[in-house]
Amino acid sequence: MNARALRIGMKRGWTEHNHLLRTRKELLGTLIGTVGVFAALTLWMGDSTVEETGVPTITFMMVGFLAFTVFGTALMTFPMALVTDREEGTLLRLRTIPGGIPAYLAGRAVTALCQIAVQSVLIVAAGVLLGGAPLPHDWFTLAWVLLLGTVATVPLGAAIGCVLPSRNAVGVATLPLMALMFTSGVFIPVTLMPEVLQWTAQAFPLYWQGLGLRAAFLPDTMLAAEIGGSWRLPYVAAALAAWTVAGMLLAPPLIRRVTRRESGSRLAARQLAAQRS
Amino acid sequence: MSTAVSVRGLRMSYGAAEVLRGVDLEIRRGEIFTLLGPNGAGKTTTIEILEGFRKRSAGEVSVLGTDPGKATDAWRAKLGIVLQNWRDHARWGVRELIVHLSGFYDDPHDPGELLAAVGLDEQAGQQVGRLSGGQRRRLDVALGIVGRPELLFLDEPTTGFDPEARNDFHRLLARLAADDGMTVLLTTHDLVEAEKLAHRTAILSGGRIAVCGTPAELAQAVQAPSQVRWLEDGREQVMTTPDPSQAAWELHRRFGGPVPGLEIRRPSLEESYLGLIGRNV
Ligand SMILES: Nc1ncnc2c1ncn2[C@@H]1O[C@H](COP(=O)(O)OP(=O)(O)O)[C@@H](O)[C@H]1O
Ligand SMILES: [Mg+2]
Repeated sequence: MNARALRIGMKRGWTEHNHLLRTRKELLGTLIGTVGVFAALTLWMGDSTVEETGVPTITFMMVGFLAFTVFGTALMTFPMALVTDREEGTLLRLRTIPGGIPAYLAGRAVTALCQIAVQSVLIVAAGVLLGGAPLPHDWFTLAWVLLLGTVATVPLGAAIGCVLPSRNAVGVATLPLMALMFTSGVFIPVTLMPEVLQWTAQAFPLYWQGLGLRAAFLPDTMLAAEIGGSWRLPYVAAALAAWTVAGMLLAPPLIRRVTRRESGSRLAARQLAAQRS
Repeated sequence: MSTAVSVRGLRMSYGAAEVLRGVDLEIRRGEIFTLLGPNGAGKTTTIEILEGFRKRSAGEVSVLGTDPGKATDAWRAKLGIVLQNWRDHARWGVRELIVHLSGFYDDPHDPGELLAAVGLDEQAGQQVGRLSGGQRRRLDVALGIVGRPELLFLDEPTTGFDPEARNDFHRLLARLAADDGMTVLLTTHDLVEAEKLAHRTAILSGGRIAVCGTPAELAQAVQAPSQVRWLEDGREQVMTTPDPSQAAWELHRRFGGPVPGLEIRRPSLEESYLGLIGRNV
């Protein structure tokens, strides 16, 4: 990958991020969709606390939303953007340009990072300012879990985006992710789940991301609700690292396959099919 | 090197369907060349093989001295590509997109000059998604040539244009090609367009090049036989001949004077072309 393509790609990602901020529909979708729902929840829950711990429910929810933001952006918004770029011919355009594909990928990754950063800041701000949630007591853990969680999921998102045949298929792919959201302990303590679901949840990165973030925000009085009564941070690091490796191995060949197959007649055929339906 | 594109015995099959059955082409540097053929003839297939987007089944292909199957970034930098049906980058500004894509090349055109050249300076700040069809296509051309390509590919660029927009587009292409000495390969299903724009045209029909040459050579090569009609024995007689003038002369001699109801009809180039592709399809 040459340095010029990388530099242009990063700039491209920043530009696209700004386009999103200027597009009302996108802005409403992401801001109201996640941050707005969370802010409403904050006001609605008021001062309730998680049973027997004295920890405000809203703190627990804030951490859940934070984990889910990373997960949702990397595994739903990001693949969706890849599919859209394919359908509109953006990917093909970059393919006609020397160094275009590496620049494109760098750009998409940067846009996803920007989206995650903006939403994370807004969620924490809403939680702290509206709901009176505390700031994290362990900034270092927060930083590495967010970063590793992002690095673990963005390549996976790229792989998903390459596999999805069309934008219509994105909805179908969202269903298992939603199921994962409810069973991964980010909104409902995982120890309340049947044991089978607990094991399933631990196979996916969302659980570990959530656990690591809870370690950064919640006091140890909450440990009763965790598996094994521990934050298990070494396991968090290991699980997220394993997913990072898996994504890095999976994504490049899929990306190569998809870009190699992209051509004008495929684009035309897709557009014709879209017009007919 | 005076050859930009050289194709020998190019074959392409999709499954059992053989779309190209031995195409031979030779495009010289600096010429505007059109590949003419009806829908489904295999024009897009051919051009995409030349662009390195599609793997051919068989044959020898050289584009600017390189096999497109072994595309490199350095080779790609010498090509400009304008495809059918592009709707990408809808949220980008017109100028913003040109500036962005020019960054990939060593010696790009100045974005401002390019905008003026394709007549989009007034739309510079507009969103790409808001351009009209004709404006969008001119932007596509601007993006195709931003890196000063040696060879520009255009796949049916004027489909859906009204006659005036089409004329403007032809003038733009002719000027750009003349100014930069760029080689242009354009596909079209419109004979009139090929005749007006191209130095040379190849007609793709039945998976092969049926005819190739300058507009005059093309007219001669595809010229279908003329019809000669006259009245004799109270009935209309019809004769089909490649040489109507000779036929009329013989009729005059036979009648020993004026031939009653004599009518000679030469098919137009368009009719001849339709006859040609009809025969070969
Ligand atoms: N990817 C493909 N898979 C199968 N058949 C294809 C594919 N692309 C084109 N074809 C078929 O090949 C023929 C030529 O197509 P194309 O090259 O697009 O023609 P043109 O551009 O001259 O209209 C058509 O019959 C078309 O259906
Ligand atoms: Mg075509």
